[in-house]
Amino acid sequence: MIGAIRRTVDQLLGRGEASITVPTLDGALKPNQILEHAEIVAELPHAEDLASDGATLYVADGPSLRRLAGDALTEAWRFDRPITAFCLLASGGLAVALDGKEVRVFDAIAGGDSGRSFTGPDMTAVNALAEGPDGTVLATDGSLEQPYARWAHDLMSRGATGRLLAIDTRSGAVNVRASALGYAFGVVSSNGDALVSESWRHRLVFISPQGAVRPALGELPVYPSRISRAEGGGYWLTAFTGRTQLVEFVLRENAYRRRMMAEIAPEHWIVPRLRSGQSFKEPMQGAHLKTMGVVKPWAPPRSYGLIVRLNAAAQPVYSLHSRVDGENHGVVAAVEAGDSLYAIAKGPGRLLRLPLAKIREELRL
Amino acid sequence: MEAFVRFKSKYWPDHLLGEILSKRWTETAIPVIVLLIVAFALSRSIDGFLSPVALADQARQAGEIGFIVLGMGLVVIVGGIDLSVGSMWALADFCALYCLDVLHLPVAAVIIVTLLFGALLGAVNGFLIGYLRLRAFITTLITLIIYRSAYDLLIQEHSNEIAAAFPDFPSWNFIGGGDVFGVPSVAIAYAIVAIFGHVFLTRLRPGWHITAIGGSRRSAYNSGIAVRRTIALCYVASGVLTATGALFFAARLGTVGGDVGVGLEVTVLTAVVLGGISLGGGKGSVAKALVGTLIVLLVTNGLTTLSVRGGYQRMTLAAILLVAAIIDIRWLKNRMRIISKVYVTPAYNYLPPPPPTEIGAGGPFEQNDKLRDVSLIGLGRIEAPEDVILDRHDNLYAGSRHGDIIRFFAPDYERMEVFAHIGGQPLGMAFDKQDNLYCCIGGMGLYRIAPDRTVAKATDETNRSWLSVNDDSRLRLADDLDIAPDGRIFFSEATVRYEMHEWPVEGHEARGNGRIVCYDPNRGTTRTVLRGLKFPNGICIASDGQSILFAETFRCSVSRYWYDGPKAGKVETVLDNLPGYPDNINLASDGNYWLAIVGMRCPALDLAWRMPGFRNRMSKRLPLDEWLFPNINTGCVVKFNEKGEILESFWDLHGANHPMITSMREHRGFLYLGGIANNRIGRYKLANADPDFVQYDKRWGRA
Repeated sequence: MIGAIRRTVDQLLGRGEASITVPTLDGALKPNQILEHAEIVAELPHAEDLASDGATLYVADGPSLRRLAGDALTEAWRFDRPITAFCLLASGGLAVALDGKEVRVFDAIAGGDSGRSFTGPDMTAVNALAEGPDGTVLATDGSLEQPYARWAHDLMSRGATGRLLAIDTRSGAVNVRASALGYAFGVVSSNGDALVSESWRHRLVFISPQGAVRPALGELPVYPSRISRAEGGGYWLTAFTGRTQLVEFVLRENAYRRRMMAEIAPEHWIVPRLRSGQSFKEPMQGAHLKTMGVVKPWAPPRSYGLIVRLNAAAQPVYSLHSRVDGENHGVVAAVEAGDSLYAIAKGPGRLLRLPLAKIREELRL
Repeated sequence: MEAFVRFKSKYWPDHLLGEILSKRWTETAIPVIVLLIVAFALSRSIDGFLSPVALADQARQAGEIGFIVLGMGLVVIVGGIDLSVGSMWALADFCALYCLDVLHLPVAAVIIVTLLFGALLGAVNGFLIGYLRLRAFITTLITLIIYRSAYDLLIQEHSNEIAAAFPDFPSWNFIGGGDVFGVPSVAIAYAIVAIFGHVFLTRLRPGWHITAIGGSRRSAYNSGIAVRRTIALCYVASGVLTATGALFFAARLGTVGGDVGVGLEVTVLTAVVLGGISLGGGKGSVAKALVGTLIVLLVTNGLTTLSVRGGYQRMTLAAILLVAAIIDIRWLKNRMRIISKVYVTPAYNYLPPPPPTEIGAGGPFEQNDKLRDVSLIGLGRIEAPEDVILDRHDNLYAGSRHGDIIRFFAPDYERMEVFAHIGGQPLGMAFDKQDNLYCCIGGMGLYRIAPDRTVAKATDETNRSWLSVNDDSRLRLADDLDIAPDGRIFFSEATVRYEMHEWPVEGHEARGNGRIVCYDPNRGTTRTVLRGLKFPNGICIASDGQSILFAETFRCSVSRYWYDGPKAGKVETVLDNLPGYPDNINLASDGNYWLAIVGMRCPALDLAWRMPGFRNRMSKRLPLDEWLFPNINTGCVVKFNEKGEILESFWDLHGANHPMITSMREHRGFLYLGGIANNRIGRYKLANADPDFVQYDKRWGRA
């Protein structure tokens, strides 16, 4: 009862849960233009996920799995449905999520083998895979209600049905490690626990094999996505889009949100996007007003490009940005291969390369 | 539900709350409400509390105390305090009676001597505080003690002589107990002084000086106000006003008892603070002093009638003083915050789904890339050319945000100069028959620049409407204009509630705060002709010379208004439900009209415009930079005719070359484009246009 009254008062005065503050990009997240100036390796409109065995880079591009050799991409495998996530296994094998609804595990990266298939329980939007200890494959399932491509619908319906699944490749069992996550999108194994991105709650959490959830990094100004291991300890975290006060506000305005979802085409919603500026029918905010022909890079992001380097304790060390006036937005995957960092900017559909030495030089590390 | 929202938005004037609170007189609102509550409560609990007899008695006391409160109010406004009023009151009382009863002076002389004596007592305070700059509190505390001691010594010597005398002069009795048609003499005197005081404080230079010193002594000094003398004179005035009150008191009671004026300073101070005169100085009025006096008097007399003992009475007064001081501080501190919270009041603004603009969708608004090849004039050298215009020698004029009108010279428009400096942002422009350039200046009004570059104000105010709370006589955002054949100038004013740089707030409110004004240079008059328009913008005289076409930006429509002829006064819609926000309108060489569409509608804002509550919360919770805005980064130019048909549209798909179009002007086969957030002017070669067309030559029949 008291809680309900407090919520009503908060709603009226814009306090507590109804407050819509968004943390600033500061400290380790201080903006730069390194990601914006990254080298474009290839234009891949359907690129989705990356993995590397340390030297060779693999790219999931629509239904095909490609290998980067030199600067050329060759098709290594072709599936019947789009790949939504994949990971390489230490044994030389491969795990692939197809259309978010099925995970297949293969013993080797070579065609012909049909692999072992896992679909239960209720896989809906499997969007990241990572090898766990003892022959398990960890999978994040974003939502039970919306397929992977409709993540914006999940955000706008305030979805909280994300799950962490552990697939035991030996026994064939699929365990639900954690559920009711605010959109799970990205996982990496970390000392026996799983480090998981919980996008709608703007945080990373550690999830133990017993399912205990422990916050790792919270109150991010962005929506975190896939995580990969970095050489020398720590992780690369991508953020597929940034937060704005307007979106936070709309999330608390139920009447407007419902009508918007019912009456307006999704590409014109007030919602974070992987790319922006495609049409004048997209909502425009005050700071987006072009003055003297210039859009301010600090304007609230409808789409944003960000890769964060985390240390072993999952705390941010530095970050690589493509700001509001840039194009390399919607970064969903970043992995190290050789002496470079590769990333997919899903907004413009690009595979990007950043030599690690150059990053260190620009940031004066 | 939506019907209810629409109904409420239309008929419930919630925007008036902010406007009323913005008025200075609302500072007095709380004391007045307290006064009404006190009067009501006491009249219910005491029989005959508000009867004429009781009221006359109240008025007599109120007048006497009221004079002191006026004096104290003056001193508090100038930033000081006068604790010695009680003692001065006693001494003045003694002075008056001594002069009358012992020295047997005539009544007129008694009055003069008493007032001079009061002035002298006040001058002591004034000299010490004003010129020697002692602390007001300490100084007047000391004079309180000294004056009281003097009074005690004097009455020991003379009280018997005074008590023995029974003066009986009609004039003296009139001062003490006379009335005119039932109104006590003292109340009449008080009314005269109060009215003068009000005029003095609000309309006369010394009054403004006093307020300025109280607000900030240093700033007042720096602006050349004689701070020391003014402060000293305020204390003198306090002494004179106290002596005036004492004179009436002396005439009424004729006693010099030991307790005359004891504790009076507390009562007076309570009245001052209760009335809302800020102890911090710089804020106060005669009305506040009056209201405070009445509250204190009603409470004291009410409690006396209810036989409450003196101790409790003073305690009650002290408690009221405390509460009043708290409310005073909170209210003064938060009033502006409350205004900023309630001033912006979004209204319901329904627009049907817009016509299609997508490539392949067909229709007159189908996007194309015709404007991709505009050539640029003055790139990086001009900022914010809202409107552009060409004279008959082909020179190009445009406004800039530095308050200049820039002239680019024909034929290549490379060379430029400041044609005239005005000081405000130039918006719409037009040439009259004598080649004077008329220009709307945001925040300033309508200006005229003669061919010899002399700048003159045409008009900056119109008639005040009777029913508006905000003073709408001053022009805030004159936007675009055109000139009728007889020389009358019709111009739009986008809003009467906001300033020019606040145009997004006006769009957010989407109420219809704009108007069209007519300036007649022949008679020198300015009258508002149309009200309640949603950001009226472009204006163009129609082909019949009896009507204007005007665009309403946030209604996404173009209408026609007849100012002359058989349809005079009528308004008809020409275009509505445009896919974007219309801006300036100008004549095309083929007799049709160019319309700039400054921005395009987006579905998220169209929906928000139907949900005022959502927008209301948005404006309170989000900073302006985060608000949902009308998208004015992309626009287009369309050609339309008076029948309301769109004939052609011109787009720049990527908006990289010439983002934003607020105006366009056809001239000798080219279309010149302006944009208020641009740093360039565009020039586009029109196919099949009259190569000799000069807009104002055609208008004035020179072509």
